[in-house]
Amino acid sequence: PGPASSLPQGFLLKCSEQVRKIQADTSMLQEELCATHKLCHPEELLLLGHSLGIPRAPLSSCSSQALQLPGCLSQLHSGLLLYRGLLQALAGISPASAPALDKLQLDVADFATTIWHQMEDLGQAPAVQPTQSTMPALTSAFQRRAGSVLVASHLQSFLELTYRVLRYLAQP
Amino acid sequence: CGRISLSASTVRLGAPITASCTISQNCSQLYLEPQIIRWKLGTEIQPGARQWQWPDGTQESIITLPHFNYTQAFLSCCLQWGSNLQILDQAELRAGYPPAIPRNLSCFMDLMTSSLTCQWEPGPETHLPTNFTLKSFKSRGNCQTQEDAIMGCVPEDTHSYCSIPRKHLLLYQSMGIWVQAENALGTSVSPQLCLDPMDVVKLEPPTLWALDSSPKGAPPQPGCLQLHWEPWKPSHFIDQKCELRHQPQLEEDNWTLVAPLPSMTVQYELCGLLPATVYVLQMRCTRWPLPGHWSAWSPSLERRTTER
Repeated sequence: PGPASSLPQGFLLKCSEQVRKIQADTSMLQEELCATHKLCHPEELLLLGHSLGIPRAPLSSCSSQALQLPGCLSQLHSGLLLYRGLLQALAGISPASAPALDKLQLDVADFATTIWHQMEDLGQAPAVQPTQSTMPALTSAFQRRAGSVLVASHLQSFLELTYRVLRYLAQP
Repeated sequence: CGRISLSASTVRLGAPITASCTISQNCSQLYLEPQIIRWKLGTEIQPGARQWQWPDGTQESIITLPHFNYTQAFLSCCLQWGSNLQILDQAELRAGYPPAIPRNLSCFMDLMTSSLTCQWEPGPETHLPTNFTLKSFKSRGNCQTQEDAIMGCVPEDTHSYCSIPRKHLLLYQSMGIWVQAENALGTSVSPQLCLDPMDVVKLEPPTLWALDSSPKGAPPQPGCLQLHWEPWKPSHFIDQKCELRHQPQLEEDNWTLVAPLPSMTVQYELCGLLPATVYVLQMRCTRWPLPGHWSAWSPSLERRTTER
């Protein structure tokens, strides 16, 4: 049997759709930030990102060489919670970006719920949902906007990796 | 001075209503001749009242309207004073029916507004102010257990639909949904639906084009058309299947269906058509393999096939 024969096909199809939906939402936010604030290239903000301490979510348990399903699902869920928290911390960047940010937050939260319910169905969910890790302090409007660009970029990378994992898990 | 009390201010159409009117003693003393309490329903005097006086001088009259057949009317308690009647109190009476069970509840997910819109048939006229509320809760599986209740959705005015906003939805989780109808005569609820919002997503039709040349740049074969289509842009993240239907322009309802088709294609050659004939073509798509509603058919594309 395939790497994830315990996962229902419907779950994998839903997750793939949710990833693509969030990718589209994130692209809209990135386009909005670029159009409105001329912040178009995350690579120009790496130094600032380090100083602000904007984290990335690990997916080490999901690598195809050493995939452990429970650990992978748990990292997917934790990563989504992290990005939802980061997106919440970025609230108020600008009226123009608010709708895209709200939509993105809701879709990320939805995807986290999908993963969590599957972990529960597999009996792999811890008794209590992991708590929100501490968020970077973004003290100025510029830091929130720059933070948004970086979070969006990190999220896109996370989603790209997630999509590959889902395709790998869907193999017969 | 006078005060009406009712058995009920709202009854089923045709049911009886009993009313009593009490005239206080100090009010009675204002009128010298014996006071006959009269009842008016709208403008018509009503016979059959019974009247008596209490030891403390209070006058009381009771009347029963055996079959109240108006949906709305005013009942007045009056005293004869000189040549005309003095209205001492007035009560509004209403009659109608309890709400029927709302039927044919259905929902669709609108990707543009990101809201879940549900519609229903309210049933026959009740003649009474009737409030409809779309109720729902988040759940798992087949909605046997209720996790989080969602705020009731109250439709505007007389609409028979309501939209639950995105922030109350978990797009990929089950939710139980039903409609409650309530008026003064009772409450009724529709059967409950159990659905994932995204499983009832409604897509807009794809956009269908005809191309002038085949992939290698050669003109289309006789009896063939070169086509290209794209799904509705907001639905690009959704895996879909589509179907195409075509018929000669001059024919009526003689469609040929080509299905299933992918939701995206660079170029598609449709052959087997009559040469030198104008064809009408339409396309629609649906979420697939996950569930969803079919879109409407796209606007007609009209194209003439080449000569032989």
